[in-house]
Amino acid sequence: MAAAEFSRRGVLGAAGAAAMTVFASPLRAAAPEPAAITPDLIAAARKEGKVVYYTSIDLPVSERMAKAFEARFPGIAVRVERTGAERIFQRIGQEYASRIHAADVVNSSDASHFIVWKRDGLLAPFVPEDVAKHYAPEHKDPDGQFASFRAALSVIGYNTNLVRPADAPKSFADLLDPKWAGKIVKAHPGFSGTIMTATYEMSRDLGWDYFEKLARQRVMQVQAAADPPKKVALGERAIMADGNDYVLILVKESGGPVEVVYPAEGAPLVVGPNAVFKAAPNPNAARLFQCFCFTAECQQLVSDISGMHSFHPDVKEKPGRRPLRDIKVMKEDAAAVEKNAEEIKARYTKIFRV
Amino acid sequence: MALAIPAPAPRLPFRFDPSWPILIGFSAALCMLILLPLSWLVYYSLHDRAGAFTLANFAQLVTDPSFLDPLLTTVILATSSAVICCLVAAPMGWLVARTDMPLRRTVRALVTASFVTPPFLGAIAWELLAAPNSGLLNQAFRAVTGAEQDEYLFNIYSLPGLIFVIACYTFPYVFVLVANALDRIPADLEDASSILGGSAWTTARRVTVPLAMPAVLAGALIAFMQAMTLFGSPAILALPAGFHTMTTKIWSLFQYPPKAELAAAASLPLLVLTILLLRAENFVLGRRGYSVVGGRQGNPRLVALGRWKWAALAAVFMVLLNPVFLPYGALLNAAFSPVASQFVTLGTLTLHNVEFVFFELSATRLAFENTLILCTSAATIGTVMAVVISYMTARKVIAWHKALGFLATAPVAVPGIVLGVGLFLSYTRPPFVLYGTLWILLIAFVTIALPAAYQQLYSAFRVVNPDLEEASRILGASRLGTLARITAPLLRTSVIATWCFIFVGVIRELSAAIMLFTSQTKVISVLIFDLNESGDLGAIAVLGLIMLIVTFAVVVLINRIPGFGGVRLRNS
Amino acid sequence: MASVELRNLTKRYDAVAVVDDISLRIDHGLLVCLLGPSGCGKTTTLRLIAGFVEPSAGEIAVGDRVVSSPVRTLPPEARKMSMIFQSYALWPHMTVAENVAYGLTLRKLPRAEIAAKVAGILATTRLANLASRHPGELSGGQQQRVALARALVVEPETLLLDEPLSNLDANLREEMRFEVRRLHDQYRYTTVYVTHDQSEAMTTADLIAVMNGGRIEQFGPPEEIYARPRSEFVARFIGAANILKGRALDGGHVSIAGAAVACNGAALTPGADVAISIRQHEIGIGADAADPSPGPRENVIPAVVARNVFLGNSRDYIAEIGDGTALRIVTAPEHDIAQGSRVWLRLPPQRCRVLER
Repeated sequence: MAAAEFSRRGVLGAAGAAAMTVFASPLRAAAPEPAAITPDLIAAARKEGKVVYYTSIDLPVSERMAKAFEARFPGIAVRVERTGAERIFQRIGQEYASRIHAADVVNSSDASHFIVWKRDGLLAPFVPEDVAKHYAPEHKDPDGQFASFRAALSVIGYNTNLVRPADAPKSFADLLDPKWAGKIVKAHPGFSGTIMTATYEMSRDLGWDYFEKLARQRVMQVQAAADPPKKVALGERAIMADGNDYVLILVKESGGPVEVVYPAEGAPLVVGPNAVFKAAPNPNAARLFQCFCFTAECQQLVSDISGMHSFHPDVKEKPGRRPLRDIKVMKEDAAAVEKNAEEIKARYTKIFRV
Repeated sequence: MALAIPAPAPRLPFRFDPSWPILIGFSAALCMLILLPLSWLVYYSLHDRAGAFTLANFAQLVTDPSFLDPLLTTVILATSSAVICCLVAAPMGWLVARTDMPLRRTVRALVTASFVTPPFLGAIAWELLAAPNSGLLNQAFRAVTGAEQDEYLFNIYSLPGLIFVIACYTFPYVFVLVANALDRIPADLEDASSILGGSAWTTARRVTVPLAMPAVLAGALIAFMQAMTLFGSPAILALPAGFHTMTTKIWSLFQYPPKAELAAAASLPLLVLTILLLRAENFVLGRRGYSVVGGRQGNPRLVALGRWKWAALAAVFMVLLNPVFLPYGALLNAAFSPVASQFVTLGTLTLHNVEFVFFELSATRLAFENTLILCTSAATIGTVMAVVISYMTARKVIAWHKALGFLATAPVAVPGIVLGVGLFLSYTRPPFVLYGTLWILLIAFVTIALPAAYQQLYSAFRVVNPDLEEASRILGASRLGTLARITAPLLRTSVIATWCFIFVGVIRELSAAIMLFTSQTKVISVLIFDLNESGDLGAIAVLGLIMLIVTFAVVVLINRIPGFGGVRLRNS
Repeated sequence: MASVELRNLTKRYDAVAVVDDISLRIDHGLLVCLLGPSGCGKTTTLRLIAGFVEPSAGEIAVGDRVVSSPVRTLPPEARKMSMIFQSYALWPHMTVAENVAYGLTLRKLPRAEIAAKVAGILATTRLANLASRHPGELSGGQQQRVALARALVVEPETLLLDEPLSNLDANLREEMRFEVRRLHDQYRYTTVYVTHDQSEAMTTADLIAVMNGGRIEQFGPPEEIYARPRSEFVARFIGAANILKGRALDGGHVSIAGAAVACNGAALTPGADVAISIRQHEIGIGADAADPSPGPRENVIPAVVARNVFLGNSRDYIAEIGDGTALRIVTAPEHDIAQGSRVWLRLPPQRCRVLER
């Protein structure tokens, strides 16, 4: 059963430890010494010449991050493997089951994946200097295996050519209005980690019957959380019921006819950690890349170009963007997502039929 | 007793003939290619996750509506596309083969163009055209009629939409079969009807059409199978519409946590159905098809359409709008427009997407390299295998040549996604861990390409007189030497055509690749599919156009080969 | 010495024996014809000798080597043979010279020697000026000579010919028969020649093996086969013969349609069913019912003319005798008897041959 080897097994055993939150401190914290970007590390990384980044961050953003890294450290090429977080998880599972170790650094918008990878012993303990110095305890693994690279929100959005601001929905409840039937697009928790996380939070706070009612609105079902904003921008659908806030913000800032709505019930918060794999084929380049990701420089760049939220205290949000602290969010609970993922997908598939 | 036998003459010294191990090696490879994945498929479908024997997977298959609905959808989908294909392609085939309609060669070329267009690319192009709100056609419709904001003419995200798009790229199968059959119906059969007093119309109705019917039926079956086993188009269009087909359902079973057992069980109905359809096709063609259409006396007589010929041409071009002109136009538009759903103007024209694909998208280079490596090697290996195997069967070299021929055609019965699942199950476990290498994709592509390549070369072998090979043997050349010095040069055009055919087929393969790729072994078709997941339509358009350019370059190359299809080598 | 010997050779496809227990010895330097109608197994026998087909039973020896047996068959390329095919099997992608040089190239001869040998054989076969042509550009006779040249240039121990002249028109065929024989006399290799044309066999062969139903009916020099057919099949197949059936009266006479006919050949058992053969031009025919042609009354049978056809240099009759057997008779053209006339048929005793089977 090679394909099934990497199941989320031992749910019962792990449940006690992970019951509170991902970052709940276990009895002993065993994080390694923080690592700085040293000339030795750069030289070793350059010898490897490349780094492979599995990520669910929207492609234009992740590719620009990669270009920034390549500009900063010439001679080390970054290959971005972007796909939905759930497919990343599936693929890494398949690859590791066949003893293929292709990924160096991983980022996933489904934080629960890191619980599994850590439990399976796949992650390398490695703490970049910036994480040790600047990141709050709830944003780093006590064993130093991963840290919160970014946060995004799953929000409502609309096309301003198709919906007048006054008519726009203000809350998730508003989306159930019959006038939006056939005009809604949403992404799928089977592909997107953002939506997986959001679906958990919404089913917890709003109940599954919310989704049952939403399904009756004849929603257009796409895969990645980055796609609903693009479909709204194209005017293919007037409203998005979920999807990345940051992609929508980018579209808006580049003059696209879209507007973000932070739902009254609170926008599901989606944290996307970064980690280095123990079996990374380019271990030094991986560590260098991980360090770079958490520098104020990179975090500021990502914030600027993408509108994603950073947990680095030195990062300044671009003027005009609403900072995370001013938004009402739904609480994240990666451990619960980890526990319920299979049921969430099954239930979702049943309700939405795909 | 033994004493009665006369003293034996001196025996031959043992003489090693290297052709035997090679021939046997090929046969063994064939078994590995086909039997191994299928065995694992059956094994998995009959076992639960713990490895114990069970029928539960099949029980779930026939009771769970989440499997029954896709199955029903698939049957509806395949039936309707097959019917549409026949309704459109059969008359077109007749117009091109049997009438004096102008531009017949151009029409054939355009059908070839739709034939080589990857269906998933067509599906994405039709998203650009006929998404209910942002689709270019629907925008144009609203602009022209002044219709309301959310009114639309077409909705591609629907079962009819999907049927339409699938029919766009499967009708060439019917067209080619029908046109070829009509090409080959000897004129004297029709002359015989005329001399007995049949008018042109009666002759067409009573003689020509019935003679072409087996080809139409066979075409319908092929169209049905294509529609049934297609993965890309449903994955792109059915998910937004909120339904699954069998192929997308099988694919979704590999979402975390992967249910390989269920996927294996769900693959088997497709396999069984395909085998049944192939048998039906054999039956149809075997009974009367080729027996009549075999002869080649005289040129076919063309029906004069008179002033209707321009109307016919217009109708044909209306049909060809759908698989060729409109989608290509939409892709071109999307490639150079800042927003995929806006008509590009000189003012808004941008090279941003081209730049993005070539300078920012870090997977582009690798995907191109992988695709080219795979296309070239699959075409080469597939051609060599097809040459050797068809040689063995056409010349009856070994006792079980029939079994060999059957094995070489068997992959026809294995839909790409099913093969993908089977190969995944076979090669992710010891002793053969090929997953994550290009080898597993190569195996998949060679297996998929083999049946058509084999058939093509088998019929080529049949027209080469075996005497030509025996003359070489008796003069002192070995079996393999003869194959290399005599047979291969004689089959040169067929061999090159087969090579190109596989090359073009591999470029557009998605359904097996989607099951088998890893980040290191990504190919362009998968890259396009990934880009579609996140809605990066501009980048898809650029990649898709490059893919089409490469494909057409290869197709044009085939047609440029001197003597291809035209001059036939003389054997006597 | 390349004698060829077939010992109890049998080839079965499924249950059908295409070649059925054949034994034959061809001494070195002889030209043997396998003669028979299509489907008699002659081509399969040739292909067995060539090594394209493996025997089901029996064996083939060349000299003192066994080259074919059910357990092991030497591949064709190792047999030092050449073959000329009915289709000529000229390779269309090679020129005449390339076709001819092929076997020499395989033998890895020096280039100069190959050129010399090719030039020599092309001269012998009168093809020198066609050396750079492709087979598709040649006439049938020229193609046939290229096939001959290609087969001969390698100086085989054994030459096999499979209906080599059947694709030529009548005049050319006659000319080529002598050409084949001339070349054979020149090089003296052991030759097996398959044909269905008896005059072709007569003009070229040292020995003829008449085959029927996978077996050899009769094996001997052409004169003997013609003069003394041993079976009805051979009699009918070699030269057109009439077959008459009757019952033996004593050791030398047969009763046919009520008349006693004296015949030639093996002694008869009185009372046995017997068949005799007589050739069409050996029967005398006389018109006068009252007085048959002069000479002894022995071996004269009454008959009625059923058909009379003028053929230019001969006249062709069909006459029916009392038991209903229709005999075919060839006479001089001026010997004209009207259809329906009563006639006498004279069967010279020394021409009436008793058939063994």
